[in-house]
Order: sequence, then structure tokens, then C-alpha cells
Amino acid sequence: MASAVFHQAIGTLLSHQHLHNSGFHQEFGNVSVNLISKGFKVYTGLSISRKGGYSSGKRNFSVVQGSASQTSVVDPLSTPSNDSKNGFQKKSSEAALILIRHGESLWNEKNLFTGCVDVPLTKKGVEEAIEAGKRISNIPVDMIYTSSLIRAQMTAMLAMTQHRRRKVPIIMHNESEQARAWSQIFSEDTMRQSIPVITAWQLNERMYGELQGLNKQETADRFGKEKVHEWRRSYDIPPPNGESLEMCAERAVAYFKDQIEPQLCSGKHVMIAAHGNSLRSIIMYLDKLTSQEVISLELSTGIPMLYIFKEGRFIRKGSPAGPTEAGVYAYTRFINFTNASGSI
Amino acid sequence: MDAGTLHNQIGAVQLHICSNDSGFLRKFRNSSLQCISKGFALDVKLLSKGICNSKHGKVRVTYTSLCHASVVDPALRTSLSANDYNQKPSIESSLILIRHGESLWNEKNLFTGCVDVPLTKRGIEEAIEAGKRISNIPVDIIYTSALIRAQMTAMLAMTQHRRKKVPIITHDESEQAKAWSQIFSDETNKQSIPVITAWQLNERMYGELQGLNKKETAERYGKEKVHDWRRSYDIPPPNGESLEMCSQRAVAYFREKIEPQLQSGKNVMVAAHGNSLRSIIMYLDKLTSQEVINLELSTGVPLLYIYKDTKFIKRGSPVGPTEAGVYAYTKSLALYRQKLDEMFQ
Repeated sequence: MASAVFHQAIGTLLSHQHLHNSGFHQEFGNVSVNLISKGFKVYTGLSISRKGGYSSGKRNFSVVQGSASQTSVVDPLSTPSNDSKNGFQKKSSEAALILIRHGESLWNEKNLFTGCVDVPLTKKGVEEAIEAGKRISNIPVDMIYTSSLIRAQMTAMLAMTQHRRRKVPIIMHNESEQARAWSQIFSEDTMRQSIPVITAWQLNERMYGELQGLNKQETADRFGKEKVHEWRRSYDIPPPNGESLEMCAERAVAYFKDQIEPQLCSGKHVMIAAHGNSLRSIIMYLDKLTSQEVISLELSTGIPMLYIFKEGRFIRKGSPAGPTEAGVYAYTRFINFTNASGSI
Repeated sequence: MDAGTLHNQIGAVQLHICSNDSGFLRKFRNSSLQCISKGFALDVKLLSKGICNSKHGKVRVTYTSLCHASVVDPALRTSLSANDYNQKPSIESSLILIRHGESLWNEKNLFTGCVDVPLTKRGIEEAIEAGKRISNIPVDIIYTSALIRAQMTAMLAMTQHRRKKVPIITHDESEQAKAWSQIFSDETNKQSIPVITAWQLNERMYGELQGLNKKETAERYGKEKVHDWRRSYDIPPPNGESLEMCSQRAVAYFREKIEPQLQSGKNVMVAAHGNSLRSIIMYLDKLTSQEVINLELSTGVPLLYIYKDTKFIKRGSPVGPTEAGVYAYTKSLALYRQKLDEMFQ
């Protein structure tokens, strides 16, 4: 079957109306015909089969709708004007949020303070990214955010080569008018098969100031072990001309709240590929941790963390099992992993 | 042994002098001691090997490898230029061109152009294979396009490099980006290979064909028109670039930014795309527009040029590790490789 089509417009914020009315049902019925003919079967099929089909009661209906919103369907038929006509209400949706910390970089290997120096992955880091990809290969991804550093970008791109949905990540370019114009896509079909990738310096690793490039030994020699320990492990003491964890958290969480959370609210599934400190900062916000708790938080490299965003809340789901591990394979009804036969 | 350091300053010009005079040799030996104490061990040893054994004729070869390794030592430089040499400076450096491998849209048969599409699993393997082929060729500075498929190709290839220097992508898109990416250790800087990204090395911009599949484009515009756009030299697709336009900005960039590096003895790697690389090859090999449109560059197979005395000498493709073939193209490359073998016994 042709791979399912999710109608996503790159770069525009779409609102997704979640409709509760049976009038919508008919409409949705029509819409779904369109979509199915384009190969939309995948995700609607998922929820329909689990609930025994369209025809069941309201609850089932909402399940079906849930999946529609989740898959970010944008269809002229479900525009606001239509909704108001039929008195539809908003319903909260469920969206997946995947956080991946990149794997080993060439300076990790050499034990050098990296910060915002743009150092690439080692062979091991490349493998970690691919492994991470296998773990999330069945979780929907509509948008990807990375930092502006190659090790996070490569991690995201390598991970996505393992994804079963086979949509194509496309990196957005906004650095100039020309960059924007030159990266335009002229086919609707192709756009629908694309996952926009947005790079943001606000997701960069904590900037380590004058320690960048120094090795841990020589830094301890130069500044003294205690000072270094403070810079590395305190919440609010920055290294010389660098950022404290607090400062890093400020710009990372602000970015998350401004740019990423709205996507989740609108039902988009998001993946963030970033760094130890920027991700901890975000987790501090998601899990409502104190500064004391966050400084003890260690994120494994290359192991994706899954959260479900539902009704304005973030529910931590831990790490999706690797393909060779036994474990919980579905976290919610919507974000289903494959069934035994391997079909979605 | 701790990896030798090559004193590479970004943008600095180094002087390379060849001499046949034995007086020079003595002087050089003294200077070489200085270099060694700064940790130039790797490449100067390379040289001293040649010096110790050399007869008159070999001195030049040995010296060439000095140039090749881009050693900069003020003491060395001035002493040499003041004395004993009566030959024109001979600068030799290597230029590696790598075209990235399969991208996700290549696989789907869509026109890509400047859309920033990443590599497939196969493209990743191609990059790693390419890396194995150039693992013994010195690289001092890397240029890539602004597109991830070329950047990833470069970074993946360099994971295979035996010299184990660290590619560092330079950021100057803003004051903050520049400030935030600063390195505060000289030692670390010396072990770094700057990576410069440039839109001028991007693939040819394909205008309104970007994202279309080849079949539907033929249906929409007609086979002949599409063939014109794809295979002519100077006919651009709607709102896109012709190969000529692409060449213009790619070759200009090469001449302004890359050639001076080669001129100063830096070994350069360029990771880019079919059309931007052909354009550069058109310049290197002095091809006509007729010839360039028939030029096909294999993906993931690196091409080596030796830049010598302002000329580009084509050396084809370095062999893979499992292939028999010529493994050294110049004596200096052979010595470099030998040194790597000794370092990483």
C-alpha cells in the first residue's frame, strides 16, 4: 500500500480541531475517504481497529478523532468555519515527545570540555544514534528540533534512517532570504512526506566559556579541583565567561515553551535531539524538578526518553525498549508499536 | 606516542623552500630541533628520516614533505629564506573532492537541488567507505556546502582518518555564535581541523523542480524541456540555476577561498555535490562546457588532486583498503602514510 499520507504544511502552525459531534463523524467519514484513498489507512486504521470501528459509541468516536488530530490532518473540510457551523468543541489531544541526547563526540573521547564548540560524533556516537533510532522506529514523529551543533543534528538524521514510517526529514533554512528561497519544495505530495527539522541555538549545550577545549586534568590543575567541581555541578555558578546551568535552562526552557509546546498542543509529535544540559533543563520543566534535583539528574547518551503530552501535562514514559528487549511496547492507545506481525 | 602536532594556523601563509645545498641541510637540522621541542615530532621526524639518509637529490623530496605537513616555525622560515637556497619554492598540497552518497530523495527519485535532505543508510556507508580511502591522506582544512548531506559525509569520512585530528565546524553566523564556539587551548587547536560551510558549494538550485519526481516533471513540462534543464550548460529550470550559474558561484568561491589555502601548503578536503564539484573540476581540468556536461562524478568515491606549483594534477581515486593499487601518489604522501603506520602500530 502506498505509505500513509499526513497532510502537513511545513512551517505553518496548524490548529487542529478536535471534534466531538456526530455531525463531524459524517464529515470525518468523508474526509477519511479522501485520506484513505491517498493511503491514509495507517493511523486511522490503528485506532479504528482497536476500538472496533467507527460505529461504536462516543468514546470510540473520540478515539478516532484523537488519532486524526494526532496525525495532524489538515483538511479544508475541518476548518474553523465548518466547526462553528456544527458547534464543535476543542478536545485535548495526545502527542508524543521524544528526547534524545547525542552520543559520544570526538572531544568526549579525549576528555575535553566541549560546550558549544561544534565537534562531531565518533564511530561510537554514530552507532549510538542508530541504536536510538531503532528504539523509536515505531513512534510517530511530525517535527524535529535540534541544536545548531552537528553532533545533535547527525544524531537526529542517523536515528531517523531507522524510522519505519519513512518520511523524509528536511532541514529548514532561515538564515537569509536566499537560503529560504533556495530550499523551497514545489510538490504537495512531497511536503506531506516530509518532517521539518528546525535547528536552534537555544537547544545548544551549556556554553562552557573559557573551559572550552581544556582537558579536565589541566583545568583542575589550573583552577583547582573545587572551583571546577562548582562550575560543573552547581546550578548557578558559571565558569569564566560561560553559562551556569541556570542560564542554560533559561534559554532552553523558554524556547521549549515558546516554540515546541505549541506544536505538542496542536497534536504534533515532536522529537528533540540535543545535549546533556539543554535536555536536563527541559526535563526539569517537564517533571517539575527543583534545582537540587536537576543537578543530580544524569541523562544516558543515545537512549531516547519518551513523554506523552496530554491535556497540558507531561507524562513520563521512560525509554522505549530496543528491538531485542522485552518490554512494554505501547504507551498509549494512540502511540502504538507494531503488533506481532510487524504491521502498523 | 602522543599524536604529533601540526602547527596549523587558520589563514596563515607558510613558506616552503627547497634547497639542494648541504649548507642548508645543516641549518635545517638545527632548526628541526626547535620544531621537535614544540611537538612537531611527527612531521619533522618524517623529514629527518629523509635528511639522515639523503644524498643530494633526496633533499628536495624530503623538503616537500615539510611543506606538505604545513609546518610553520618562524625560526625555520627566516633562516631558510635568508640563506643558501637557489631554487624556486615548490609548494605541494593535496586536494580531496568527495561527492556525497545517496540521499533520501535520491532514493525516491525526486529532484533535490538545495532542499536540505539527509543521507540514507546507504549514503552513510558510502561516506564511511570514502573515509577509508582517504584515511592516509593529510587533511588540514575541510570545506563543505551548507547542506547536511555533504556535512555528514565529511564528518563520517573523517571518523576513519588515521591522523585522528578533530574536525571542528566554524560558526560565524552571528557574534554570539562566534563567541560561543571559541576554543581556549592551543594544544587543542593544533589537533583541530577547521570545517567551513559555504552555500556557494551547494548543489545546483533546481528552482520549481525541487521536490518533484522525475516522471511527473516529464509529464508536466515534456521530456525535452526537462532534458534541456538537466543536461544543458546554460538553460536553467524555472527560477533555478543553470549549470553555468552554479559554476560561477562555486568556482569563484574555490578561487577566492580554497585555492589560497592550497597555495599556502594546506591540504584541503571539499565535500559537496554533483554539480558544484563538476564545476570545480571544470576549472581544475580546464574542461569545455561540452565536456563538463558529460562528466559524471561517482558518489562517495573521493578524487585526489595534487596542487603543485599552482597547477592541479589529477590523481584519480585513492584505492580502498582492500584493493591492490598504487597507494602513494607522491613521495611526501608515502612518507606521511609511513609515519602514520609507525604512530599507530
